[in-house]
Amino acid sequence: MHSLLYLPILIFLLISDLACAQTTYLSGVVRSSGNNQPIAHVEIMNVQNDASTLTDHKGLFSIPVKENSVTVLILRHLGYETDTLNINKIPNEPLEVFLHEKVSKLTEVEVFGDANQNSTLLKTEITRIDLEKTPFQDIGSYLRTEPNMGGIRKGAMGIDPVIRGFKYSQLNVQINGGTKIEGGCPNRMDPATAHVDISDLQKITIYKGPYALKYGPNFGGLIRLVTNELSFNESYETHLNMMVGGQTNYQGYKSRLNVAGGNKLLAYSLSTNWNKYGDYSSGNGETMQGSSNNYSLKGQLGIQPVAGQKFYVGYDRSWGKNIDFPTLPMDERNDNTEIYDFSYLGTGFGEVVHFIRAHIYNSDVNHEMDNKSRPFSDTVVAISNIHAINTGGRFAINFDLGKGVLEAGSGFERISKDGTRSKTMIMQPNMPVLFENLWNNSLVNNLGIFAEYQYKTSRFDWIASARLDINQGNSDPMTRYSMKGDTIFMDANTKSNYTNLSLSAGATWHINDHQNLAVSVGKGVRSPDITERFITLLPVGYDNYDYLGNPQLKPEANHELDLNWTYTNSRLGNLTTGIFFSFVTDYISAVMVPTSEVKPQTKGVLGVKRFINIDQAYLTGFEINYVTPAQKFWDAAFSAAYTTGINPKATRYLIESGQVTGEETINNDPLPEIPPLEANLAFYVHLLKNQLSPGAKLRMVAAQNQVSKAYYEKTSPAFTTLELVVTYHYSDQVTLYGGVSNLFNTNYYEHLNRRVVGSLSPYMEPGRICYLNLIINL
Amino acid sequence: MRSHDKIVILALVLLFLGACNDTNQKKVTYITSGAISEYQLQYRNDQQEMVNLKVNPESASDKWKFEFMADQGEIVYISGNYKDIQSSLLIQILVDGKVYKQGNSQADTIKYLTVSGVVPYN
Repeated sequence: MHSLLYLPILIFLLISDLACAQTTYLSGVVRSSGNNQPIAHVEIMNVQNDASTLTDHKGLFSIPVKENSVTVLILRHLGYETDTLNINKIPNEPLEVFLHEKVSKLTEVEVFGDANQNSTLLKTEITRIDLEKTPFQDIGSYLRTEPNMGGIRKGAMGIDPVIRGFKYSQLNVQINGGTKIEGGCPNRMDPATAHVDISDLQKITIYKGPYALKYGPNFGGLIRLVTNELSFNESYETHLNMMVGGQTNYQGYKSRLNVAGGNKLLAYSLSTNWNKYGDYSSGNGETMQGSSNNYSLKGQLGIQPVAGQKFYVGYDRSWGKNIDFPTLPMDERNDNTEIYDFSYLGTGFGEVVHFIRAHIYNSDVNHEMDNKSRPFSDTVVAISNIHAINTGGRFAINFDLGKGVLEAGSGFERISKDGTRSKTMIMQPNMPVLFENLWNNSLVNNLGIFAEYQYKTSRFDWIASARLDINQGNSDPMTRYSMKGDTIFMDANTKSNYTNLSLSAGATWHINDHQNLAVSVGKGVRSPDITERFITLLPVGYDNYDYLGNPQLKPEANHELDLNWTYTNSRLGNLTTGIFFSFVTDYISAVMVPTSEVKPQTKGVLGVKRFINIDQAYLTGFEINYVTPAQKFWDAAFSAAYTTGINPKATRYLIESGQVTGEETINNDPLPEIPPLEANLAFYVHLLKNQLSPGAKLRMVAAQNQVSKAYYEKTSPAFTTLELVVTYHYSDQVTLYGGVSNLFNTNYYEHLNRRVVGSLSPYMEPGRICYLNLIINL
Repeated sequence: MRSHDKIVILALVLLFLGACNDTNQKKVTYITSGAISEYQLQYRNDQQEMVNLKVNPESASDKWKFEFMADQGEIVYISGNYKDIQSSLLIQILVDGKVYKQGNSQADTIKYLTVSGVVPYN
């Protein structure tokens, strides 16, 4: 019997037990007394009934309380003084609570996430509650709804994040304090985010720009995912968290079960996820391939032998099966990923050393892809097996220097990749099989040292950081042989060594109680990734060419300036605006290689391109966010964002009848795969003392006409979607999130969706979806 | 037993069950017919090995058949050749009793008649 069949029984038993509970909800907003800004992740505990919650990124919270009795709330946050509220009568208006910053200049002390409160860093936080409300089965699907973020979509899962036009290795994605994952697919069907189940996430923190350098080489942005659920308790506690979600269209379900508990000495957490989705209908009724099947098991153990000394070990195993990627030549057949990690956080070393942190990890991805569901498999069955390992660690000491805080340390990362592709000629006598090396024991090592200094005064927050990375790569000779064993391509010069210096600095001026002005400048340098160095004749680019890696590439450098202004007013709401300008030198692009040098090996491609550095490119854009003050019955939010990128001198290859016949230079060609102008409007109503919160989310995306001529990028039309959402807090333990996305069944696709292989059609987004997620917390 | 211990036990049972995964196999059948004299066959069996075989039919209506269970995505392959110019050959691959692929030849003693593919996914 399938395990999920037990879930409804369990849910019924639990709900029947809880049905008698009567609940009133107390809502409000928590702000900093220093700058009036909302504070995310304030832990709020109701002493009376042991209920607890966290504030969201707008500082908002809602917590169950008993009517007609005194309510005692404890508010805790690492960067602020703990506060206790005694409430005699539940107010009709939402509460507004102000917390005072701690006198000591605390920086982050969370083990896995971060509580870095420096206002200069361009940080966005997404909470678990934000994620639970959605029908998304993929982290990238959620991220592309954030301002100035997008996602390159190639299939059912694995949407590859884009921040302000930066993508792939220009972004640093890490889990639980530094664990990194190297995906197996050369075409990035499994970026790092694809190996983490969205239902496991406790928090996502996004840093835009090349400023947060202490977490690793950071070129265009940093995405930190937190899945850890360990917590030490004064006395032994056990908690159960269950989630079951289902939806129409994209028919399928997601389910999650977590048991966590512990006491002062030990903490543990065990989780499992099971997600299964089918094909879906686009807005015009066309069936799109989008099936996927994922499951995972995760265990974590924490030990605190003495107060202030915490040790954690974690093991995470996930599997993906039969995941459709209709825009790529292959689908994912099997993925088997294992992650081990060990973390340490020590505090209480005296007045100077604030904390010591260490983290080591190993992620191991075995990824199998094939073309068995494609028409080409009638003659050639191609199967690729890739083994990608990422091993690394980070060590940091945080010093309290009286007037400021200094954090310094070191980080190491080792990426290795090896794999082959078999081609079975199933229409030939004896079924001959050709084996090709996709990776040739390719290896990249990176050792970095870093330091970050933060300093606060009553009017200014200052931050400066520096990072030095020594990067080395090598591989067995990059080779490709024919069926007869003749050499088609060979490059034995595969060694590369880089020394990269990254710098950033910024300041926030607290102009008055309502306004802040922040300026950041930074230079983030990244070494070429393993694909850009060692890929051998595979079509891994946006355009239709086989690509060749180039071990002699230079590092790419992003010089960025950010200017942000925020206005906060308890009566008028919060307004945040920002502009950025990014000047990229040694931008990594590609040029065509003459066929006399090497011939393409993939059927239907136009030729071979080799990665090279071009002189420069630049990107610029803006972001606007507005959130209304917490109202009695409603609140609303608006955001808009835009990015444009330019290659001042691009080469366009002229194509006639499927052949390259010449080339021309295009001045100021837009960079490819930049999301268009987008605006979002959300409106929520709070009824039944906040037990019921229906709302609507309007998403308006402009046409993208700024497309790269050099890459023959296609324009995409504008679209608008409306989603209806509802949250129902049935009791302290049971919450329902539901909704209808794409209410008007709009037929649309995102600009970054790739085209379906064998057709000119884009990979369309789903039409109307009705969804329901049930969350149980015991 | 305390209530939260029951929760832990129940949850662990569910975790264990969640780790189980069943496979979905299909019945593959190779069928050859139409030949009036000896012919050579080569096919891929359930162990993914190539098997060579000589078949001596008594008449054109004689059928040679081989059945096995295969995972979805498994390669299925059968190829045949005859040396009698008067003969012919029909090769079929059935998946779960339905014709998945087939081919035939007549009076072609040179070329191998090959029928192949992968067991389709649901």
